[in-house]
Parts: sequence; C-alpha cells; structure tokens
Amino acid sequence: MSIRLDNVSYTYMKKTPYERTAIKEVTLTIEKGEYVAVIGHTGSGKSTMMQHLNGLLNPDQGKVFVDDVDINGKGTEAKKSRNRVGMVFQYPEHQIFAETIFEDVAFGPRNKGLSEEEVEKQVRAALSFVGLDYDTFANRSPFQLSGGQMRRVAIAGVIAMDPDYLILDEPSAGLDPRSRDSIFREINELYQAKKMAVILVTHSMEEAAQYAKRLLVMAKGKIVIDGDSAEVFQNHREALKEVGVDVPQAIKLADILRERGLDISNDVLKTEDLVRQIKLAKGWL
Amino acid sequence: MKPIIEVENLSHIYYDSQNREIRALDGVNLSVEQGEFVAIIGTNGSGKSTLARHFNALLCPTEGTCLINGLDSSLEENLWDIRQTVGMVFQNPDNQIVAAIVEEDVAFGPENIGVPQAEIRPRVEAALAVVNMTEYAKHAPHLLSGGQKQRVAIAGVLALLPKCIVLDEPTAMLDPKGRKEIVATVKKLNKEKNITVVYITHKMEEALMADKIIVMKQGKIALQGTPGEVFSRVEKIKELGLEVPIAAEVAAELRAGGHRIPEKTITPEELAEALCQ
Repeated sequence: MSIRLDNVSYTYMKKTPYERTAIKEVTLTIEKGEYVAVIGHTGSGKSTMMQHLNGLLNPDQGKVFVDDVDINGKGTEAKKSRNRVGMVFQYPEHQIFAETIFEDVAFGPRNKGLSEEEVEKQVRAALSFVGLDYDTFANRSPFQLSGGQMRRVAIAGVIAMDPDYLILDEPSAGLDPRSRDSIFREINELYQAKKMAVILVTHSMEEAAQYAKRLLVMAKGKIVIDGDSAEVFQNHREALKEVGVDVPQAIKLADILRERGLDISNDVLKTEDLVRQIKLAKGWL
Repeated sequence: MKPIIEVENLSHIYYDSQNREIRALDGVNLSVEQGEFVAIIGTNGSGKSTLARHFNALLCPTEGTCLINGLDSSLEENLWDIRQTVGMVFQNPDNQIVAAIVEEDVAFGPENIGVPQAEIRPRVEAALAVVNMTEYAKHAPHLLSGGQKQRVAIAGVLALLPKCIVLDEPTAMLDPKGRKEIVATVKKLNKEKNITVVYITHKMEEALMADKIIVMKQGKIALQGTPGEVFSRVEKIKELGLEVPIAAEVAAELRAGGHRIPEKTITPEELAEALCQ
C-alpha cells in the first residue's frame, strides 16, 4: 500500500508570460505507515506536490498512483483511491461551513455514501480523536469555538473519512504552544492507532525533527534530499543551507556551544538530546 | 516624558449569542514608554489581539481608559490623531494590500489623510527604503513573497509617520526566511528610527528581542517584566500554556539536575557564557 508519484511535472499558467514550472520530474513513494515531513521555503513546490497526491491537480506529465490505481484515471476505482487520501489545508478552520459541529464533520462520510448510522459512528470516533467530547460539542455551532478548537473540528472532518494517507499542511500555524502540542499529540495517537501514512508539510524544523522519521526537502520544484530526519539534520547541514532551510533550534544551540569550546557530540536533534550532551560534555553524567 | 500608551483598568466586554457576558479584557493596567519595544504573549483567546486593537482605537474600552499619546481613545474627535500615532500590521499579508502596484499601496495611507502630493512621494520612497523594498516599488504586490508583502504592509504604515507600530503576529504565516526579514525590519524600526513597537507573537524566540514582555491570560496580565525576568520562570510560563526559548529550557533542565546555571540564562549567548567559562 503506497502513494506513488512517477515522474510528475506541473506548470502554472501555461503558455502565458507568467508560466512557471512548480514541480519538475518528481518521483516519490510513500508507504502506508510512514510519518514524513516535507520542508522547503515558499515557492519550492511543496503545496503543488501535495495537491497532486489527492488529485486536486492533474499532472502535466507523469502519473500519480494510490495503492497502484492511477488517481487521475476515470471511473469509480480512481475516485475511491482519491478518497483514501485526506488533506488538511492550511488554516482549515476557514473551510468550516455547517451549522453544527456534527454536520460539518459528517459532510465527508455522507458524501462517501455511508449510512446515517455509520456516519454517526465515524463522527463520534473522529471527534474523540481530536479531543472534543461528542455529547458536549456535536450540536454546537463550530463558529463559537476558539481557534484551536475550530481547527480540531476541521481536522476531525478529514479524519472521519478514515484516510489511509493523511496530509497536513502546516497544522500548527497560528496556534499557541499548548494547542500546537495537543494537536500533534492527537495526530500521533491517531497515527499509532490506524497506522496510516502521515505527510506533514511544515516550516517548523522542530516539528519535522520531533515527529517525522523521514524528511523530504524540496527546492526549485524537486526533492533535493530524502532521508532519515535525524540523519539529514545532523549530517547535511551545508546542503540544507544551500536551499535556504534551517535546522532545529537544539542543533543551532549545540553549534554555538561547540564554537565556544564545549565538546558536544553531533548526536543532537531535540532539546532533551542537547541537555544530555551538555551533561556528558561537562562530565555531569 | 509621558508614556505613549497608558491603559488604566481597561475591560472589554461583549455578549455571545446566548447573551452571556464575555470579558475579553478584565481590568488591565499597563504603560508603554516612547521608544520602548514591548512583546505580548499568551495563548489563543487570552486577549492579546483585543488589547492591541485598543491601541489604535479599533476597539474602545467598555470600562476604564486608554490614553494614546495623552489622547482618550473613547472620544471620537481623537480617532484621527490616534490612528496616525499608532499604526497596525496584521497577520495575513494578503488582507492588508489594497493597490495593484507596491508604491501605490504605500501611498494609500498618506493620500487618505490628505498629505500634499509633493510630500507623498518622498514619504513613500523613505518608507520603502526602510523596509528594503525600494527595488520592488513598481512591482505587483500579489507576485511578492509573504515576507515581502508583509514588509510592504509595514511600509504602508510607516508612510503615515507613526510614533508607534503594533504588529499582531506578523510572522505567523511566513516561512523562516520571511520571518527573519520581518524580525530584522522591526528591530531596525525600533533601534534606528526610535519607533515604539508592540509586538504580539506565539514565537518565544521573537519575544526575546523586546525590552519588556507582557504575558496575558484570560483577559488579564499574568506576568510582566524583562525577557530575563519572564522566561526564567519556566514553570509559570508552562502553566500559562506557553513555552520558553530553548536556551532557557536547557538552563532550567540543567538547574533541575542540581547544576549551577544563573537564574536569568535565556539566550544562547548567556547559556554559552554559563557553560564555557
């Protein structure tokens, strides 16, 4: 079970003076069960690539397969496989439209043709995954919730589709640290329980380092680095710098301390690693 | 010199659809001195933005007073002066641009307040120079990057020659490069142009550049002080649903392990100092 891009290219505003190739000959396989972070600065092609994963954009060249079905083909098979891919856009709370939270989350499952009984089951499960109590929230208006809660409702709407591949485009943008941590905790629990693939598009290197096992770095419409996230952040510093991508703060701080003569090993990714390495370097362990 | 912003016992109350009273701000007292750089942090819904919107009279106090450069913001005859004294920059760069050419966008404010034609051009040029966007003067804003658009928005405010700029999460929608551009620009406004800055953010590393940090919780000020005073209270900050900059976090962990690291260690340099003597 995998999502596969085979030599995919896409150009915006073709045959106009504004023509711009957003992704170029991208080949990529993401297996179900993987947790992947996608980083790269604005305009590197991240969003364009993501929109190919569930058929929002049709490639100019190449093919996209979900579980070996060409998702841009015709017929119910192609439609079904597009439905395997759930996409949470940036600021998804702006896309909430229904009068009650139940109705909003139920929209996707209903569209899929599930029975009312199954729809309710999915909505219950999805709301519980994002930490919203069904009996308290189902009949409330989504528009009276806080920003963090609204975002949870929007994510629940995608989770209720029971996707095998979950794409999240900057799910923490604009959230305070506590809401951000709880959204990631919920995503992690979901990931552990369902073993779907999670594809996280982020500008936060800390999030990429902390949650994703695999890291894709995009630049100028191509995937320039694809590897284990710890390994990439620790050992490909020059390459990352070249494409204008930062490293997690723990690594930056380790660099500063090393420059000042503290003998800190390269084995740092998160804050707790750094604390441990400092203690080792100072002979405190 | 009198403070540029003086807030006394300020409450802002509104009613939800079930007619329940919501106190978005609840008895806030604060003052911001001319030339100061103040950061406001706090969880979503803590009242940061509501507070900031009082500083240029987008909102008026339900109770208490808000004096801007000595002018009471609840009096309509003061609005014009207050809005020229305090400019605002919001989160989403796309919502703040009104014209199809960068320099026209920056000229919009001065034109609106009736600045003479001959004076508008130098103002626009100076504003674009400060934010490093001179070479984009004739460009179309929608083709710029997020960081560039946000700098155009700042230039639009600068063209009004404000004494104070309030920025409400100006980097939330930007990538790391755009964030750096905005942080550098805001620092420059404060240090070189002596413009008072009120900076709302969820990014604790950005709050570090302030002279003073105000932490909001449920419409009240929960904590205020220098970055050193605020971020050395790691437990309190976490309890408020926030986090501290990484160097402060590491310092606190080491202290918890019984190692001697000075209380107010919050920046990488200070941590290096403490560890590498």
